[in-house]
Amino acid sequence: MENIANLMHGFSVALTTHHILLMFAGVLLGVLVGVLPGLGAPNGVSLLLPLTFSMDPVSAIILLTSLYWGALFGGSTTSILFNIPGEPSSVATTFDGHPMAKQGKATEALAFAFLSAGFGALAGVILITLLSGWVAKFALRFSSPEYFAVYFMTFASFIGLGGASPLKTIVSMGIGFTLAAVGMDSVSGNVRLTYDFDVLLAGVSFLIAVIGLFGIGELLLTMEEGLKFDGVAAKVRIGDVLTTAAKLPRYWVALLRSSLIGIWMGITPGGPTAASFMSYAMAKRSSRHPETFGKGDPEGVIAPETADHAAGSAAMLPMLALGIPGSATAAVMMGGLMIWGLNPGPTLFTDRPDFVWGLIASMYLGNVVAVIVVLATVPLFASILRIPFSIIGPVIVVICFIGAYTAASKEFDIWLALVFGLVGYVFKKLDYPIAPLVLAMVIGDKAEDAFRQSMIFSQGSLRIFWSNPLVATLMTIGLALLFMPLIGGLVRRLRGRGAPRTV
Amino acid sequence: MITRFWAETVTAVATMAFGLVIVKGALEFGIGWDSSGPQPGAFPFYVGALVALASLGTLGLTVGKQFAGDLALRKSVLDHEQARRVGSFLLPMAGFVILSVTLGMYAATILYLVFTMRFQGRYGWPATLVTALGTAAFFYLALEKFFQIGLLKGPLEPLIGL
Repeated sequence: MENIANLMHGFSVALTTHHILLMFAGVLLGVLVGVLPGLGAPNGVSLLLPLTFSMDPVSAIILLTSLYWGALFGGSTTSILFNIPGEPSSVATTFDGHPMAKQGKATEALAFAFLSAGFGALAGVILITLLSGWVAKFALRFSSPEYFAVYFMTFASFIGLGGASPLKTIVSMGIGFTLAAVGMDSVSGNVRLTYDFDVLLAGVSFLIAVIGLFGIGELLLTMEEGLKFDGVAAKVRIGDVLTTAAKLPRYWVALLRSSLIGIWMGITPGGPTAASFMSYAMAKRSSRHPETFGKGDPEGVIAPETADHAAGSAAMLPMLALGIPGSATAAVMMGGLMIWGLNPGPTLFTDRPDFVWGLIASMYLGNVVAVIVVLATVPLFASILRIPFSIIGPVIVVICFIGAYTAASKEFDIWLALVFGLVGYVFKKLDYPIAPLVLAMVIGDKAEDAFRQSMIFSQGSLRIFWSNPLVATLMTIGLALLFMPLIGGLVRRLRGRGAPRTV
Repeated sequence: MITRFWAETVTAVATMAFGLVIVKGALEFGIGWDSSGPQPGAFPFYVGALVALASLGTLGLTVGKQFAGDLALRKSVLDHEQARRVGSFLLPMAGFVILSVTLGMYAATILYLVFTMRFQGRYGWPATLVTALGTAAFFYLALEKFFQIGLLKGPLEPLIGL
């Protein structure tokens, strides 16, 4: 019940005209960012972050999270109308969303997508409301070894569950960790890994990495594919939305199942993209008529959308309570929290309850605002995509580089963004995962500090990671996740070649 | 045409080189133990070594698969048409970066958009100029006036009194 009281206090923080206006602004910007190819949620947050440095942290986080919800919604709009996922996490929405739109049911598809997305997001936020205080209290018992174990678990699950080649995941993550180490070492005060370049003294900012890897890299990929927008026109009528809303309860099984998948994937760092694919596959497998999937089955829209948004909001739980971001976007926001002078993690709940509960309350409001805004502005945003890419592309380039410069007003960052763009392009072409790199850049220093502190406690013995039941459990789970691909492969070999999995 | 095999190989060698550069840089700061615990180079040393090893692993896998006749590695990752499209986007973008650091970001924005729209997109002069100047003006008003954030400026802005 304590949580409910806290939440009410949070609503009193979030429900001011100023904050509601920020929510609208954030959602609108987010939809724009989500609709435009090359600009995604992590990118949008990175570009906007420098503008929030002078804001009060509560207002800033409301603006950024609203942008995140908007981007998630915008991504599904283009998936349905143009068959182009605006966000990686809305790829699965194209499978049935676009066929529905082509059959003249664009409004129904959009309404199903937005409403089920809203449902998923609310499920995620309710979970945060109920669990975050408890998780934070639990995490207050953590000291350095436990923290390192949790970080280890996070990265192990990327390697074990990420789907990409484990070796490539290690490379990507390692690059992130080393980039985080460049510059001032927070423990000894030494400057390291600068190779006598003055520009590296201040380190490499994760914002530049996100803008380059996600923004410019994505644009290069889009150009290479020679993208043609071939959309379905959509007008959203209130009547159609209401009839669709009335049909939604029929899909309660799909809604609940997808919410659970999404929440699970959001808390563990599987992320929204994996959640939406998994949810789609589960919906198809458990459907009584799987042959309709891929041809415009509403459940094929509802399942990935619900999971996508549930994961997106649930990813805020580990970020707030443990200081571990569950997705690339959450990683960028967590970096923002640190820049604003907050310390993400369990102490945030006791130090800044107004911030934490204001944020949680704003997640309820922000998602409601997002559903309304997105239904009202879909035709407008869809028309943006009718502007030829030869105009939009260069404008996005300009936005990305200006964003890179505003992060720290360093000329060097403009060059760095270009380099990261090329790396992002190559990595995406060759299936190197990029999210682990960003996560490692944001929490790299914290992970290293936790490791060094633990080593100081134990005088250099690794046995400290098995010194009490809590840390031992965490480390064992981490190791199990790490070797999951190997174990899975062995099991399959022992059983003989099973039936091939179909997604 | 670039095949997947070469792209994978070159990337793996590059990441391996990156890992080794980090290892070398970390060695300068000591990777052992001193009064304050592990020395500053220790963590980067092991991470760099891990990157190099994992890259070596990818390299080994790629070469192994190539000898085993894996067809996926023979496929093209970048054909002529794709290379042309990427190049026609990448080169003006690099030009934009060079102009940004020499002439300032506003001048670079205008020149870059004029080039891409007029000479690549074949739009008329009026549409081109409206878009280019409009974009630059938008950023000027939004950043310098509203958010009070200055962008990189070059020798041209003082001439028109900004």
